[in-house]
Amino acid sequence: MMAYSEDHIALAAEYALGTLDAGERAQVQTMMAVDTGYAALCEAWVLRLSVLNQMVGLVEPRAEVWERIKAAIARPAATPPPLGAEPDIVTLDTEGAAPLASATSAAEEQVAAPAVEPPVAVTRRDDAMPAGNAEVIRLTARVRQWRTVANAMTTLAAVLLAMISVEVYRPDLLPSALRPRAQVAENKPPAAQFVALLQKDSEAPAFILTVDAGAKSFTVRRVGAEPEQGKSYELWLVSDKFQAPRSLGVIGSQDFTTRPGLSFYDADTVNGATYAVSLEPEGGSPTGVATGPIVFSGKLIETVPPADSAH
Amino acid sequence: MLTPAELVWLIAAVSKGDEAAFERLYAATRAKLYGVVLRILRRQDLAEEVIQETYVKVWNSAGQFNPAVSSPITWMAAIARNRAIDVVRKRGESSIEEEPEAMDVAAETPDPLARREMSEELKRLLECVGRLEPDRQKLVLLAYYNGWSREQLATKFATPVNTVKTWLRRSMMEIRECLGLG
Repeated sequence: MMAYSEDHIALAAEYALGTLDAGERAQVQTMMAVDTGYAALCEAWVLRLSVLNQMVGLVEPRAEVWERIKAAIARPAATPPPLGAEPDIVTLDTEGAAPLASATSAAEEQVAAPAVEPPVAVTRRDDAMPAGNAEVIRLTARVRQWRTVANAMTTLAAVLLAMISVEVYRPDLLPSALRPRAQVAENKPPAAQFVALLQKDSEAPAFILTVDAGAKSFTVRRVGAEPEQGKSYELWLVSDKFQAPRSLGVIGSQDFTTRPGLSFYDADTVNGATYAVSLEPEGGSPTGVATGPIVFSGKLIETVPPADSAH
Repeated sequence: MLTPAELVWLIAAVSKGDEAAFERLYAATRAKLYGVVLRILRRQDLAEEVIQETYVKVWNSAGQFNPAVSSPITWMAAIARNRAIDVVRKRGESSIEEEPEAMDVAAETPDPLARREMSEELKRLLECVGRLEPDRQKLVLLAYYNGWSREQLATKFATPVNTVKTWLRRSMMEIRECLGLG
């Protein structure tokens, strides 16, 4: 893991303390999204300070709060297109060409064993109650696996940082961290365009995903990916608001594919999600969960409407 | 009161979609998390919203909890607090005096726990905080418990914001050194 400067560490510590302003927080969160080492550093500070919460007094919330939570977890984030039964907990396996595996044994058989680390112990809903320690160990293994997938995203760092710091791109193309400070109580930001570069490791992007926040549509432009014989690329939205990635459909073979499929998701979900492309049998995944390897992935950068003066 | 081991067990069950376990987890932890965010947000509607979002996130990411790294409550409170801070920073500044009186939340830091009730990690951290000058201790703890911004702290300590910024950074680095993190 690369060593971080004192500035980086101080930033992480202050992030955990909570005293950074909104812009700095967003900046740290952007850095966390592109650099898993930094995310780990910040997370460690957040947990380190969180022991202080032991001292906070208990306050009972209203009963109604629970009703809303129950409704929120039951609701599959509006009504996405029916793709078959709700998949079980999805485990993101190892780095690089890693399969998105569902918990069902059928999907496990379909998943080619990666030449990297052994597949994670996947939990199933129909399992008997956990046997204490064994379950905890499996959980730990799962968490490690989950985190190693993010390493595939680390390589985004070079590209995204280049976008942030270099004038090669449009100067008004900035991550939300560097936007002009929002007005207090401003609830409706202007409709913005969002861009994600979907790529693998440090190779050139294979697809460029553009999201029109106003129209709730997205466009995928093929820039590098070679069409695969008898296979289709399928786009997924990966978010911690859902237990499993959501399909956004198969990417067509033409240069541009435009779809309205984001109207099912709220802006926060769309903004914060990771977009992943898996290689599926022709026509897309037959099961409703990704069966092929993730080949490209990326997160959105928000482009800023032309600023009044400085950026 | 559930033990950490029981909470770990519940989180494991939640990660497999066990709704009954999730309800028990909620029952066991809601008052702590609500207390944490209410101190920071000082409004019932905002606190409720953050609590809802927190538990949805817990439901969806229970599989990511690593019991080797932290206790369940530490993990859950961190999620809740982080979200509360996000909200309060985005909402922008209001002076401390303008905060609605409806929330009768103590403006100062919480009462100390008996030492025997504290985890080892908490004791170690408080020892390090305790080595700061008294004013800096207050600064750090007010920032943490009340979620105050640099501007609010500057008002409280009648100091320029930039000075507060320096104090905070130095204090955190001193805590870091005291904890032996290099």
